[in-house]
Amino acid sequence: MSFGHKFYIFVLVIIVLFTLIVLSYFGFSYYSLPLEERFFHNAYKDLKPGGFWGHGLGILGTLCIIIGVLLYITRKRLRVLSRFGLLKHWLEFHIFLCTLGPILILFHTSFKFGGLVAVSFWSMVAVFLSGVIGRFIYIQIPHTIEGREMSLNEVQEMKTNIGTVLTESYSLDNESLNLIIESTKKKVERYHDNFFVRFVQNFIKDQRTIRQVRSVVGRNNLSRSEQKHLLHLIRHEITLNRKIERLVMMQNLFKYWHVAHLPFAFVMLVIMLIHVTVTIVLGYRWIF
Amino acid sequence: MRIGIIYTFFVLILTCTSSLTAQISPGDLAEVHSHLEGISNCTKCHTLGAKVTNEKCLECHQEVKSRLMLKKGYHFSPKIRGKECVSCHSDHHGRKFEIVRFNPDKFDHNQTGYILAGAHSKKACKDCHKAENIANIKIREKKFTYLGLTRRCLTCHADYHQQTLPSTCSDCHSNVSFKPATKFDHSATNFPLTGSHQTVGCADCHTVTSKNEVRFQEFANIPHQNCTECHTDVHQNKFGQMCRDCHTTASFNSIMGMSDFNHSRTGFPLENKHAELTCSSCHKRHLTDPLKHEKCTDCHADYHSGEFLKEGVVQSCSYCHSTKGFAGSSYTIERHNEGTFQLKGAHLATPCFVCHKKEEKWSFREIGMNCVDCHNNIHDPFISEKYYPESDCRNCHQETRWASINFDHSVTEFVLSGAHTTQTCRSCHFKNDQNGVEYQVFSELSSHCTSCHQDIHYKQFDLDGKTDCLRCHAGNLWEIPGFDHNKTAFKLEGKHEGLACTKCHKHVRAGESSYLLYKIGETRCEYCH
Repeated sequence: MSFGHKFYIFVLVIIVLFTLIVLSYFGFSYYSLPLEERFFHNAYKDLKPGGFWGHGLGILGTLCIIIGVLLYITRKRLRVLSRFGLLKHWLEFHIFLCTLGPILILFHTSFKFGGLVAVSFWSMVAVFLSGVIGRFIYIQIPHTIEGREMSLNEVQEMKTNIGTVLTESYSLDNESLNLIIESTKKKVERYHDNFFVRFVQNFIKDQRTIRQVRSVVGRNNLSRSEQKHLLHLIRHEITLNRKIERLVMMQNLFKYWHVAHLPFAFVMLVIMLIHVTVTIVLGYRWIF
Repeated sequence: MRIGIIYTFFVLILTCTSSLTAQISPGDLAEVHSHLEGISNCTKCHTLGAKVTNEKCLECHQEVKSRLMLKKGYHFSPKIRGKECVSCHSDHHGRKFEIVRFNPDKFDHNQTGYILAGAHSKKACKDCHKAENIANIKIREKKFTYLGLTRRCLTCHADYHQQTLPSTCSDCHSNVSFKPATKFDHSATNFPLTGSHQTVGCADCHTVTSKNEVRFQEFANIPHQNCTECHTDVHQNKFGQMCRDCHTTASFNSIMGMSDFNHSRTGFPLENKHAELTCSSCHKRHLTDPLKHEKCTDCHADYHSGEFLKEGVVQSCSYCHSTKGFAGSSYTIERHNEGTFQLKGAHLATPCFVCHKKEEKWSFREIGMNCVDCHNNIHDPFISEKYYPESDCRNCHQETRWASINFDHSVTEFVLSGAHTTQTCRSCHFKNDQNGVEYQVFSELSSHCTSCHQDIHYKQFDLDGKTDCLRCHAGNLWEIPGFDHNKTAFKLEGKHEGLACTKCHKHVRAGESSYLLYKIGETRCEYCH
């Protein structure tokens, strides 16, 4: 990842965090009140869902979500747009807008979750959470640079001939060399039936392996940058091993994830439209 | 994808069917509006395209609407007027939401048009805003309302005056306290309070009684035309009912208009000198203080210092005096003569003071009955008391005329005869000394002629040292009836018989005077010839 892209991602995160912090800071005294008391708060007229700021946040959040969804889906579905940027980057922007949007919507609701529009809200929450899960699953499945999922063979081919690299690039003693190579090899293990237990067990094992590698690396006369690079390489190999292990399962999960993510997004959008329609019909048109 | 679409519709149908009827609402309505829950009721408050309009609110809240139409009440105050109802009374904030959050400490009651001042400002809202004070039945039945009260005091306060006074209580009472009625101006009534009436307690005239078994103080229809409505007529109607003709309200004792006061209507008509007096001459303190007036001494000092007491009581001065003046007694001579000392003669013409004011002060008792008690006895000690026993002048003098002497001189050793009987007493008994000062001589007056008469003969006829004129003279003409010159040593004969005496008896000088020398002692002719 280039520095420019990292900075871009950093800015997006900062925008989200800044928005969250600013809205929380200025709205805390209002949002922390019981519903019955809020009307009497000085900021009620501004921060109520129909207020200048509250209503504005709702509209802005809605636009964020709609734009985030439409842009990503369009880019993903229309082949003619495939040459416009990496799908990964569109996904990142989709995640940004669909993270910022729910935050704005959250403050628009003033944390009052009731009525029909609450279905839309909770659908949004579901979409958001499923998005977070989907992002995790997405990461577990290696993709090509265009964003296409790799097959198992393609993934296995990604593995580095670690023995050659270690011998050529690093002057390690034999004991260390053997231990590191051994640690990066995919092992046949007895797995727990529960995915989450298994995930945690593997995480603990991998951490232990990395610590062993780090101590082994420390015994050899390697520069700090060489140690860092070597450890990164080892981590990548171990992670890749796990991804290969979970690839089939993650690919299946990702199929199911779409079933959950998209319908909630549709429900959210439909009820949101109803909500918007009702408010407009009743005369709540913000600044318009 | 297909599964996703099916699932989406499933979720939509589920949510719509289960909650659409109510879930468009952004939140529960407050308890008082809870009957308006439900999608079919939205437009009862909301106007399509216009949010929540005041008209919608007022369609239900007719009480407020009527107040607004009357341009009265809190909602028509400049502070509130023109605002949207929902700006103060929102909803959809939950069942427990207070659509009207009322803070009595911060509420500006003045905006209602009824300014809370005085004692009202210390009262709790519920002291006034309670059902029993609300006349309108519909409003009264509301669980929570501040409407329904009128500005009339009697809306909340009991009519202490029980409809005997107008219901505009604030004309008299302030809102600080019912008592006292500080705004009440008694001078605006038919009976302005002046003088001492200003300090009289209200209850002294407006008596506290009971009416309809409630404590009641009468303020209306208090009879006040006559003073006697409240005051006792101490004059027992002698002066009529117009007390104000004499008295003022400053004090019963403060009298005015006395120039018109007819004292004759009292038990003591003012006459003569009394009529000339100022009131304060007798009425020393207050004109109305009871004044004893049966006796003169009730006012006047007993000048006579008890001289006219009778059985210990001072008799009426009018026996002697009149109101025309203390001086100039009306006591008559006749009445004087009824007493022990009858006035007669010159006493009748003698002024009273001669006898009764011997000193500075008049005196009528124990002044004496004898002459000398008044008159100076000039004869003492010149006349022997045997001639006027007990110094009774009347032995000689008469009351009619002092100079008229009625004395029998024959009781003395010197019986008056001849010319003596025609002489005044003074001729013999009063003499002048060498200095011309008169003096009297009675007892010491000698019976010799020369005691009174001058011996012009210069003792030529003395006999034993005494000259007895009567040996020669006699009669009123001082005649010498018995003298016979022939019995002397020189008989008159011849020519001598016809000669005048002075031919032979010549005047002899004796000092500055002269006398006839009768006893010549010479008989020789040549003495004369």
